Amino acid sequence: MSDSATIVFEDVSRFYGEVLGVNRVNLTIPPGITSLVGPNGSGKTTLMNMMTGLVRPSRGTISVRGIAPDDPQALFRIMGYCTQFDSFPRGYTGIQFVTAALLMQGLPAAEAEAKAWKAIEKVNLVEAAKRKVAGYSKGMRQRIRLAQSIAHDPQVLVLDEPLNGLDPLVRSETIALFREQADRGAHVIVSSHVLHEVDMISDQVILLANGYVVAEGEIRGVRAEISDRPHQIVIRCDQPSRMASKLFEHDHVVEVRIHPDRQGLLVKTTDASHFHKLLNKLALDGIYIDTIAPADDDVNSLYEYLIGDEGGN
Amino acid sequence: MAVYKRSYTSYSGALTPPRTRFLVLPRYSYERLFKSRFLVGFLVACLFFPLGCIGYIYLVNNLTIFQSMGIPTPGFLKIDGKFFLVFMNFQGALAYVLTALIGPNLIAPDLANNALPTYFSRPFSRTEYVIGKISVLFILLSIITWVPGMLLFGVQASQAGWDWSVANWYILRGILLGHITWILLLSLISVAMSAWVKWKVVAGALILGIFGIGAGLAQIINSILRTDYGSMIDISRIMYTIWSDQFGIETSTGLEAFEAWIGFAAVCIVCLLMLERKIRPKEIVR
Amino acid sequence: MDTVLWRRQLLAIVQLEWKKTLFSKRGIWVYVLAFLPALLFGINAYRVKSIRAEQERMSVSAPNASAVSNKIVAGMSADVAAEALRDAKIPYSRFTRGRRLEVIRYNDGANAFDLMFREGALVDKRKRNQALLSDDIRAYAGMFQYFYLRLAIFFGCVGIFMNLFRGEMLDQSLHYYLLAPVRREVLMVGKYLSGLVATILIFGTSTALQLYLMLSAHSNKEVSDYLAGEGWGHIAAYLGVTALACVGYGSIFLAAGIIMKNPMVAAASILFWEGINWFLPAMLKKFSVIFYLQSLCPVVAPLNSDIPEPLKLLVTTAAPISAPIAILGLFTVSIAVLAFASIYVRKLEINYGAD
Ligand SMILES: Nc1ncnc2c1ncn2[C@@H]1O[C@H](COP(=O)(O)OP(=O)(O)O)[C@@H](O)[C@H]1O
Ligand SMILES: [Mg+2]
Repeated sequence: MSDSATIVFEDVSRFYGEVLGVNRVNLTIPPGITSLVGPNGSGKTTLMNMMTGLVRPSRGTISVRGIAPDDPQALFRIMGYCTQFDSFPRGYTGIQFVTAALLMQGLPAAEAEAKAWKAIEKVNLVEAAKRKVAGYSKGMRQRIRLAQSIAHDPQVLVLDEPLNGLDPLVRSETIALFREQADRGAHVIVSSHVLHEVDMISDQVILLANGYVVAEGEIRGVRAEISDRPHQIVIRCDQPSRMASKLFEHDHVVEVRIHPDRQGLLVKTTDASHFHKLLNKLALDGIYIDTIAPADDDVNSLYEYLIGDEGGN
Repeated sequence: MAVYKRSYTSYSGALTPPRTRFLVLPRYSYERLFKSRFLVGFLVACLFFPLGCIGYIYLVNNLTIFQSMGIPTPGFLKIDGKFFLVFMNFQGALAYVLTALIGPNLIAPDLANNALPTYFSRPFSRTEYVIGKISVLFILLSIITWVPGMLLFGVQASQAGWDWSVANWYILRGILLGHITWILLLSLISVAMSAWVKWKVVAGALILGIFGIGAGLAQIINSILRTDYGSMIDISRIMYTIWSDQFGIETSTGLEAFEAWIGFAAVCIVCLLMLERKIRPKEIVR
Repeated sequence: MDTVLWRRQLLAIVQLEWKKTLFSKRGIWVYVLAFLPALLFGINAYRVKSIRAEQERMSVSAPNASAVSNKIVAGMSADVAAEALRDAKIPYSRFTRGRRLEVIRYNDGANAFDLMFREGALVDKRKRNQALLSDDIRAYAGMFQYFYLRLAIFFGCVGIFMNLFRGEMLDQSLHYYLLAPVRREVLMVGKYLSGLVATILIFGTSTALQLYLMLSAHSNKEVSDYLAGEGWGHIAAYLGVTALACVGYGSIFLAAGIIMKNPMVAAASILFWEGINWFLPAMLKKFSVIFYLQSLCPVVAPLNSDIPEPLKLLVTTAAPISAPIAILGLFTVSIAVLAFASIYVRKLEINYGAD
């Protein structure tokens, strides 16, 4: 794909003094909805801030549809960024807040206000638009910031945890809004710390952990990559040998070892979600299961955390 | 069964007695403050001068060299009101510095982090909160001001005898009254300032600046209106007048003792009003 | 060059910012600081008028007042002085100040006096409460240079210009500007201009009001004589210096707010630097704002009586520079400071948490 239609990270690292923000990131992001997923502190915000020029990379270069992030005058004609900072300039009402951003685009006042109303309509805040933002609820503040970032119809929309604090109804409306933006050819980059919140809507997913990109691609590819690896699970129960024989009846269980104290067993499976369903059945059959814990190394347990049970649904 | 029925039991342990509950604030503040080595060092350094003074008093009272030469002890070595006034001025200045160091941390962080609702959702009133915060400074400042002052007076009294004490009891009154008014004023100002601005640095600057700005304003009031009453908002002049009055020394501050007291009361009242406005469990945005 | 776009963006920034600065509730103290002198001159106007009225009454009721007043000399006892005043039908008040001081206060129709008696004998005869325009002009010069420039405008600019960047960082709202299609330099200049609009409006209005109130107390003849002479020049100079002070201090504190983590340290150091400016060698003097402002002030301010004699000599021998050079120097300093700040503003990162 040509340079002017993608967002490219080339060997990008960022350190905050001694602390690692992100390290050696190489990404090429095509238009569509892209989700950055990772636990807190994994570097999602850092990536987004670098993409928008709010912080600069310690190493490497970034290009957003051919524009460097340190050229705000060109960049923000095509970009909107809804940050995770839940703060506002003092004393603004909702409509003033959105209009202000459009005035900075260089629009005449009347046109700016008309566009602002349109954006506010999109996030369903028309009734509250004339009230002071300081008196909004968390969800309303989230939405007015969203309205501000989409008001100038950006080609690249960057949204840091945009679904936080929204109720289910508003959440699905918001997701529909993302889809709409993506369908007109825009980049929509969304971050989240729960994969199943965004996997249904994303065209592609980037998994982050501890400042590294650990997986990227279309959601199916990422999931396959994860489930192809055998998962190790430790189970403490009262009848380990009976359990072991029952487990071996299934294909996805590749290895079972009984713990020397005969109080538990170690299982290797290629399909974690099936396995968990199986355990439910066994428990109903009368085997008393005390604990179930993943026994994998860090990256694998991270997948476990990210994908969870719902990965298989 | 409802969840709260299973897990909720109200606190049934011992409570701090209501009368001394405000002391909870200093207790925790000190725990944090004394972690700073710089501050502890500064506090200890503040006690060097009083120690030196005690040594000096002891020396002067036990100088036998003049007696042995058959001449009376020279005047400049006498321990009198002037000596104690020097002591007071020195320790008073240190108290000012200490206030600037600690003062900004008193209320500003609570406001910046929205901690007031947490305080007031406990059996803890606004008054107790303010008294608690003031006492953080007041107790600390006492340790370096009037407490060593009393000690000095005690040492001198025991050395110089009963007659001296009777003749000079005004010194004791002066130390107590002078220093307590001073540190009360310092504590009130710094609590009020740190309640008024959320940013610690600005609060610190205000605590220091209020003296300079007050003095500047006093100057222009005096010069434009050709009067002396402007000095009533010059805090250092107020204190200087009050102290000098206690020690019977005439001043050229242009203020009468009672005018200085009025100024003092006015500053205190303004501080209290500021606190009353700002120390609220919640803020309403319109 | 996108000058058209920049102009439009500058306008938008100024429109968004100037009202925020001008009408913020947190900024009320700036108004207090700015308008206190005006209030004082208002009170002074009332005071001067009542003295004038009193003097007129006196000239009718006690025509030989000044002759009697001249005869009161040092060493005279309080009772004798009081009797002399009573005989001449001059109203007076007699009271004590402190433990040992007795005061007799009276007005002889031209001047007001305080007679100070210690142990019954006159030790000091103080002329006070004069109601002459020339006195007010001198009082104004002192107020303007020592209070208005060095404290009021100085701290007003600290409050307003530092807030423009550092305040928004503390409020965590600066990123909204950085996320707009505006060059950082344009943003900085826009914020500077809006700060200038606000400060010049506030302090310029106050200066004009102060001067009006000062003059309003005095008789038409005195005022028109003054205006016909050097009056209008003074007024223009004071207004100009007020605006230039905002230009100079504004640039410095805007830069401090961008560059420094803790701008209060900057404010304190600059206050110190400007404070010792009097005593600096000529080379270093040029790196300050107050030096240029002081050179532009039309009336030499009376020195504070607290300043020791040797220092006074130092101060008064400092030769002021000519007006065009002073104005040029001030603008040079401001532009240099802003240019320096623009290096930093281009590198500015959003790092709210770590502040
Ligand atoms: N301003 C900062 N100063 C120091 N460390 C920071 C700063 N911002 C982020 N970090 C660190 O960088 C890492 C990534 O943070 P962030 O990008 O905010 O993660 P996320 O948004 O995924 O939760 C974390 O370890 C965090 O502590
Ligand atoms: Mg984040």
